[in-house]
Amino acid sequence: MKMNNIELPAEQTPEFSSVDETSLIVVIFDSNPGQKLLRDNPHILTHCLDSIIAFSNSHLMQKAQNKLAVMACHSKKSEFIFPGSGKPLDVRQIDGQYETFTLVEKTIKQNLAKHLAGESPMLNTESLLAGAIAMALCYIARLQRSKSPGCMLNSRILVVTGSSDSAMQYMNYMNVFFTAQKQNVVIDVCALDQHLSLLQQGCDITGGLYLKIPQLQGLLQYLLWVFLPEPPIRQKLVLPPPAKVDYRAACFCHRELIDIGYVCSVCLSIFCKFSPICTTCHTVFKIPPLAVKAKKKKIKL
Amino acid sequence: MADNGSSSTSAVLSLNKFSNLECKNLHDYLRTRPQNILEKLYNHPTICLAVYRELPELARQYVIRILFVEQPVPQAVVASWGSQAFSKEHVYVSKVLSELSVWQEASIPGGLLGWILSPTFKKNLKITLLGGGKPWSMSSALDTDNKARDVAFLDSYSLERWECVLHYMVGSQQQEGISADAVRILLHAGLMKRDEEDGSPVITRQGFQFLLLDRHAQVWHFILQYLDTVEQRGLDLVECLTFLFQLSFSTLGKDYSTEGMSQGLLVFLQHLREFGLVYQRKRKAGRFYPTRLAINITSSAANKSAPVLDDDTHKGYIVVETNYRVYAYTDSNLQVALISLFTELMYRFPNLVVGVITRESVRQALRGGITADQIIGYLKQHAHEQMLQDSRNPLPPTVVDQIKLWELERNRLTYQEGVLYSQFLSQADYNVLKEYAQTNGHLIWSHKEKRTLVINKCAHDDVKKFWKRYSKGS
Amino acid sequence: MDEDDPKEYRWETGYEKTWEAIKEDDEGFLEASIADIIQRAKRKRQSKKVYGTKLGMMRHLYVILDCSESMSSQDLKPTRLICSLKLLEGFMEEFFDQNPISQIGVIIMHNKRAEKIMNLAGNARKHIKSLKNLNKTTLVGEPSLQNGLEMALKSLKSLPTHASREILIIMGSLTTCDPSDINSTIESLKKEGIRCSVIGLAAEVYICKLLADKTGGVYNVILDDSHFKDLLYQQIDPPPAACGQESNLIKMGFPHQMAVEGTEEPLTMCMCHVDSIDEGSKLTTGGYYCPQCYSKYCELPVECRACGLTLVSAPHLARSYHHLFPAMNYKEFAYENQAEICSGCQKQFTENEKEVYKCPNCNNYFCIDCDIFVHETLHTCPGCATNSSTFQLTQTG
Repeated sequence: MKMNNIELPAEQTPEFSSVDETSLIVVIFDSNPGQKLLRDNPHILTHCLDSIIAFSNSHLMQKAQNKLAVMACHSKKSEFIFPGSGKPLDVRQIDGQYETFTLVEKTIKQNLAKHLAGESPMLNTESLLAGAIAMALCYIARLQRSKSPGCMLNSRILVVTGSSDSAMQYMNYMNVFFTAQKQNVVIDVCALDQHLSLLQQGCDITGGLYLKIPQLQGLLQYLLWVFLPEPPIRQKLVLPPPAKVDYRAACFCHRELIDIGYVCSVCLSIFCKFSPICTTCHTVFKIPPLAVKAKKKKIKL
Repeated sequence: MADNGSSSTSAVLSLNKFSNLECKNLHDYLRTRPQNILEKLYNHPTICLAVYRELPELARQYVIRILFVEQPVPQAVVASWGSQAFSKEHVYVSKVLSELSVWQEASIPGGLLGWILSPTFKKNLKITLLGGGKPWSMSSALDTDNKARDVAFLDSYSLERWECVLHYMVGSQQQEGISADAVRILLHAGLMKRDEEDGSPVITRQGFQFLLLDRHAQVWHFILQYLDTVEQRGLDLVECLTFLFQLSFSTLGKDYSTEGMSQGLLVFLQHLREFGLVYQRKRKAGRFYPTRLAINITSSAANKSAPVLDDDTHKGYIVVETNYRVYAYTDSNLQVALISLFTELMYRFPNLVVGVITRESVRQALRGGITADQIIGYLKQHAHEQMLQDSRNPLPPTVVDQIKLWELERNRLTYQEGVLYSQFLSQADYNVLKEYAQTNGHLIWSHKEKRTLVINKCAHDDVKKFWKRYSKGS
Repeated sequence: MDEDDPKEYRWETGYEKTWEAIKEDDEGFLEASIADIIQRAKRKRQSKKVYGTKLGMMRHLYVILDCSESMSSQDLKPTRLICSLKLLEGFMEEFFDQNPISQIGVIIMHNKRAEKIMNLAGNARKHIKSLKNLNKTTLVGEPSLQNGLEMALKSLKSLPTHASREILIIMGSLTTCDPSDINSTIESLKKEGIRCSVIGLAAEVYICKLLADKTGGVYNVILDDSHFKDLLYQQIDPPPAACGQESNLIKMGFPHQMAVEGTEEPLTMCMCHVDSIDEGSKLTTGGYYCPQCYSKYCELPVECRACGLTLVSAPHLARSYHHLFPAMNYKEFAYENQAEICSGCQKQFTENEKEVYKCPNCNNYFCIDCDIFVHETLHTCPGCATNSSTFQLTQTG
């Protein structure tokens, strides 16, 4: 007979950590017909849409409690195309597809068609992604508020876009990135056409993944490989390493990246050389001897 | 020379004398099915979906990655997907996928081994995800029901039906009885047994453990037991399972048609109706509504019942305080009976019961075969909304730890069968034998001054032989 | 004191029937009503934010914490001191998050003396660590408000004129024991344009009120710990620029991590840990290099130890932009089916909706939750930001 020390019984089966929480993904699909990618070849839209629907359904397939929302982003308006406003469609199975997936596919296609039909013929090339992310954050904040206590909701936003990001939306971008960071919302970005340096910053700030896909044909595979795994599982998989993000500021006067600049003490505008008046807030600066000296030094550099 | 007085000492006391309630999840269930049934099952998209959802997280990622790949993927490549730090998990996941024949080994030209998804599984999972194939059996078109039932109605209906079964088990007579069929399942499952005297069914210890499970796990366990008996009833197991999972993936609050269902399935449907998994106005109504009990039936196996967002109305009623007091806001006799299993009740009001968790009350429950985890699980399960504010620890940690310690307290002793060796003539003899036993790992206990040893029973022959050889030699 | 001071003493104001504001709802619960009052208060504060005022963005704030005997009182749980320290920790984090190029220093007052715990610095982690150490301070004697103020004044005096200089006093004691006339100290604070705010933990004290009034700060006495937190966090928003404050262009460096493609970065030591005892400098790759003198730092923002250049990254500056360009305030309307859903969170408006909120810029309607969320957290109107004709208006006018 032997006395044992009190110790917790060892687990018999290998118990690997798994996430049992509800996972919400808000897909923001840039379907603006004005973007270069779609103007060159409008058929790409269908291809992308099919991939996104398949991806969305794969997300729902992962766990019964997973949630999905899909948005279409344009230059005049962004809209939730799933779950759309109003009553859900009455869908009956037509083939072997899971009923819920059929509902997702039908709703997205119908609402997107409606959304595109409402688009004015005056095409604007700039898709307002920052605004769409802002809407998504409001939506996520509502779900967070209304969830029952004790329920964990992990949310993330996936942006799929072929347009470029312009500095015009800089402030809106920064506001949404910092809000997402605060709310623990991960922002993932899948760039279809151009490199998006601003959105890449957003991924870096919120801990999301940024991927500029090498070829559009394999969009679905890229989505499934890189963006389907939830953030907690990502550490278990080998995924593209985060690229180093350039956080240098662009001066307000020439929009050039600078190493050393001058910042207005009132409005924090950035300038690449000393000027006696701030162009943003019209403050007049006194010219300190120090600043002049510093300027000389800079020329030497 | 006094030989070793071999008196076998300790008696065996298997701690698992009473078998505990064994809860299988879908995987355990499927693993124990024969291969041909598995293959047959994978012919149905619903089953593939259910199996997929039950896979470990990493496995799901693997499957989705090779879902659209036609050739086998080299095993080394698959292994390289996971990061080094989690290689153990990778091995485990690969094993699970093979066990369920979701993927198979295949050789690649060039001598490498690769993985390829089972063709049936792959085809049908694709159908679920992307469409194609035949619609599931119960989705024939229906004209709108003029007496459509809403979700609230279905919830209360299913609750009432299910509680009926539970009430029957604890023998509280406030509900009408249940059918002989259901009783047979309870008996078969070992949740109840015939009383030795009058032959009426009484609840067993497994039955109590069953009651402490969460609703989903109860339904799942019950249905599994039912499925065991399904073939005796002349029903087709594959057909029933398929239908069950179709139900599981249907939409709450929607009606489905019974058109085209086989005679066997209609019988099955009536059984499900009795337990409250589906609602049918009349036997021949031609339509039925699945209830919450049937929806996502397998997700019970994910053991931690994560409350579902928005559409799940969480109705907890138990408050546990750090002073071990338990307040249960309930008027149901069943719930009161359950709480009294492990608490000492103090006051009883029309809508509130107050009890206290004591060492005695917990030990009482432990003696009855309920485990600490089950008690804690039950309290957590039904924790009042107020308790859930701190979402990670709905229960006071002190109480949780104490209940666990009370359980461990009972397990302080472990029993081993042994043979006592004593009355050695010299210290040298004693030392030799002790040395031998120790190096072979047979020694359980020894006392130098008294020159006694206890040797593992199974090694007795071996040690005896050694002793004979030794004493001859000396 | 000014004759036309609008804020009288509590007992001088009209008889407020505060309890009448609270009403039971249909089920007899008060919670909804209280939540309503809180939301209304939030909105009210929000609406006070005026668009386009000049703000003091580069803030230098001294927190003067009372550590006298009175702080051991247990009217805040567990004690006044521990409660204050806990709240201050959160405050520091939030402060640096919102004001990344600002600095905080900490002074404590006990036993009639002032003691500087932290010099002005911009690193939240170090501050929080030093706050944690304050837990064990012995709470003795009376505080000396004057000594505390003088010490802060001496340090703030030497700062360049473009900086916004502030003092925040957390006062538990009802008395102060000063070496000379405190009025002269207040005068010199006023002359320097240093804004002094006071949070009282006990009751209103004349000298604190005078100090706050003269220097343009605010004086409040807490009701309970959540009110305390509320008052403290109000200090996070940058105050309007003091009139004597000059504007200036400040030279800053924007270091970048970019390594040359394809080459391994060399192992180097960072300057931030070079002389710290508990966590010594380690050889690491990567980091931020000062563009002027090439010293390396592990984190930003920081002031270069070698050449004194302020090193920041663009997002740091961007974090403060929302103070300068807040989202437009929404207008409240009674709900009359103006819209079906909230333009932000997509919530279906129902008959229960009392009010909806309309953005004057993009004319979209929002629910109250979104109104609060947009103005408190997001700072971007989702309606404006999704329309090409309005998305930039928030920035220019």
